[in-house]
Amino acid sequence: MTARPGLPARPTFAGGAVRVFSLSLGEMLWSRRTVFLLLVTGAPVFLALVARIVQGIGIVPLRVNGAPVDGPSVFGMMIWVFFLRFIVPVLGVFYGTALLADEVEDRTITYLFTRPIRRGAVLVGKYLAYLLCTSLVVLPSVVLVYFLLVPLGQVARTFTSFAADLGLLALGLAAYGAVFALVGAALKRPLVSGIVFVFWEQIALLIPGYFKRLTVAHYIQALVPHAMPSDGAVSLLQSVLTDNPPALVCLLVLAAVITVTLWLAASTVESREYVLDQ
Amino acid sequence: MPIHDQGYRRYGGRRRAFGKAWWVIARQQMRTMLSQKRYVALLILAWVPFVARVVQIYLAANFQQLSVLATSAQLFRGFLDQQGVAVFLLIVGTSGAIADDRRANALQVYLSKPLTRVEYIAGKLFTPIAFVLGITLLPALLLLLVHVAFSGSLSFVVQNLYLLPAILLYSVVQALLGTFTMMALSSLSKSRRFTALTFTGAFFFTAAMYQALQRITGSRLWALLSPRDVVDVIGDAAFRVPGPRAVPVWAALLAVVAMIGVSILVLERRVRGVEVVR
Amino acid sequence: MIIAAEHLSKWYGQVSGLNDVSVSVPPGITGLLGPNGAGKSTFMKLVTGQLRPSKGQVRVLGEPIWGNQALFQRIGFCPEQDAFYDRMTGREWVTALASLHGFDEPAAADKAARAIEAVDLTEAADRKIGSYSKGMRQRIKLAQAIAHEPELLILDEPLSGMDPLMRRRTVRQIREWARAGTSVLVSSHILHEVESMTSNILMINNGRIVAEGDVHQIRELIDEHPHTVSIRTSEPYAIARELLGDEGVVSVRFEPGGLVVETTRPDAFYARVTELAASGQCGPIHEITSPDDNLQAVFRYLVKA
Repeated sequence: MTARPGLPARPTFAGGAVRVFSLSLGEMLWSRRTVFLLLVTGAPVFLALVARIVQGIGIVPLRVNGAPVDGPSVFGMMIWVFFLRFIVPVLGVFYGTALLADEVEDRTITYLFTRPIRRGAVLVGKYLAYLLCTSLVVLPSVVLVYFLLVPLGQVARTFTSFAADLGLLALGLAAYGAVFALVGAALKRPLVSGIVFVFWEQIALLIPGYFKRLTVAHYIQALVPHAMPSDGAVSLLQSVLTDNPPALVCLLVLAAVITVTLWLAASTVESREYVLDQ
Repeated sequence: MPIHDQGYRRYGGRRRAFGKAWWVIARQQMRTMLSQKRYVALLILAWVPFVARVVQIYLAANFQQLSVLATSAQLFRGFLDQQGVAVFLLIVGTSGAIADDRRANALQVYLSKPLTRVEYIAGKLFTPIAFVLGITLLPALLLLLVHVAFSGSLSFVVQNLYLLPAILLYSVVQALLGTFTMMALSSLSKSRRFTALTFTGAFFFTAAMYQALQRITGSRLWALLSPRDVVDVIGDAAFRVPGPRAVPVWAALLAVVAMIGVSILVLERRVRGVEVVR
Repeated sequence: MIIAAEHLSKWYGQVSGLNDVSVSVPPGITGLLGPNGAGKSTFMKLVTGQLRPSKGQVRVLGEPIWGNQALFQRIGFCPEQDAFYDRMTGREWVTALASLHGFDEPAAADKAARAIEAVDLTEAADRKIGSYSKGMRQRIKLAQAIAHEPELLILDEPLSGMDPLMRRRTVRQIREWARAGTSVLVSSHILHEVESMTSNILMINNGRIVAEGDVHQIRELIDEHPHTVSIRTSEPYAIARELLGDEGVVSVRFEPGGLVVETTRPDAFYARVTELAASGQCGPIHEITSPDDNLQAVFRYLVKA
């Protein structure tokens, strides 16, 4: 039996993903979760503002080993401390593990899984919505922090590394989001597993040898144009044990991680049963 | 009358006085938590440091060579600090206390009974507070008793009489602050996962914010932003830990009161039988 | 057959949800009935591809449904759960879901508008779903199921929460869809409303199919339960004297204005009563009804016994 005449062609995988993306983006952007996102990304802006005000009244905002640190260096430290080590992985866990889990919890997944689009396309669509939503909030925050901290006279000199920062943060959101999308699709308690993974990364980066190559952080951090801050024993140890692969290798590995984990997540979702609470 | 009326009869027995219904909520929550193995395991494991300290006190009291392990006031402060992880996990485990009720539209049902909002909130607060005090206040006081038992004298307690109020204050502040903020967050959402993540994020992020602001401005007053550091100040003062405090004790206490106050305001607004959607 | 299940079983761990069900659902309207916990929802979820069979298979519109998302181009599903994207308006929601069928935006909006009009929600279509009443939420759920004009509609408790007028209207609407060629599988507890939609039923209990087919035929097959016939007459005792001697009459009970007879031979009994009415020898017979030649009685006999 064939479909009735007048029905459009069934959406392709990509077409289905785009349609789910459109449906999910509004829901994600205007949800309470975004308030949390704004607070988290607003904190570095607040810090940058305080630093600017403090500098304006003649106090040097930051000293390392007694030596004053300039604006671009403070910006670099904030990229490391706030965005790379905290905001990007946490958002990856927070959103990535919940891509479908939220719909399952809310029992709205039924409406998506009883449409003529592949379940994997639903996951990919939601992932794309997560990526855009978080990028729309995180990247402007980085821009604000940059212009608050870096004097106008130094913008030209530092603009390239700033653009690189924006790119690698977006890449970080994409990579962590994909990894945690797989965690969310495959595991029963994805949040706990996600948090464990984030802690594991910090430990793995300290272990000499090949362990660090099993982390996303290793490749992301290798792309950072700023020096790692020596703000404690852990960072010091990490900087000593750093063994940065070439940029091209990092980009290829991250692209592969995103592709493979998303594909695995989509495959898992296609074959998994979702039993809803009544 | 030979044939008795089998129809409906009003209950003629004793009823609890109005105002005791909070205990029903608390009891139910306790049962729910204790029916889950992970909470029971956590409550049991949280007593492991107590056992370790008992062994320490025993060894110090009975072996001269191990006098380096002798009991001091800092033992109790250290013990309560150690319990911080278990306290955190316990409180995070109650993230669904109100969120689950909101999700199931159960608030309407609860508040349509002779149960006031205050009783409902009190019932919800009771269990986590009781559990937290059960792994902080209770073992700490027991440690004091153990010391008296093993040393065979009350001299330590008499010389350190301030320990009793210190243990009480520190435990109660931890329990109240953690529980009130968690309940407030739980009332803001219908997702226990989101609540748990927000609480965890806020807990660690505020501490990181304090560190960053302190380094930028040189002022430790920013500790007032971080509940963890505020409670540390109170703990240091209560246990007479020498050294400068980040903020004055009265300011720390005021900050705790303010945070609990804000939580109460949030609870007052959110715990309602109906939610108006415009 | 629209839906064909062969030796279909589903276990949730140690608990059996459905046990060796083999059934065929023909085109038209079919009512799926059963008490709570009977396996209706499990059957619905298997038929809509939300669950994978533990054993056996289920085919919908001639094709296996599990993992076959393409089939949903032709199926519309109205689930039981009251779950929505509360922040969206009804129109936005139905349009978005319609677009997932491949319609471009204007076409999806048009389909959504028609579906919303069919469920009489046009006035409230631009309000947020979170502000809808229970009945309105139920109707908007129905709208998303019909927007793409499916060949098969699967409705899980579609009348739940609707007021009586809306229920009647929805029942009429369902019958219209069936007349237009759409097959409908409707699960419900409201027996008289299922009866007003269709006489073709599927009865399920304890994870097994208890009966399927026309409700009247099923009733006739339930031999061990005597048929109950109510006779309204001015001379109940006279009629009772005549009938008590007949083979098959199991009991006679007097009620104000008539009598109620139980018989194991309904055909012979009706013939006898017709004879008595025609001859007038026992006085006038005003009315003869059978209170249990209906779905409620069949349900009671098969499920609650």
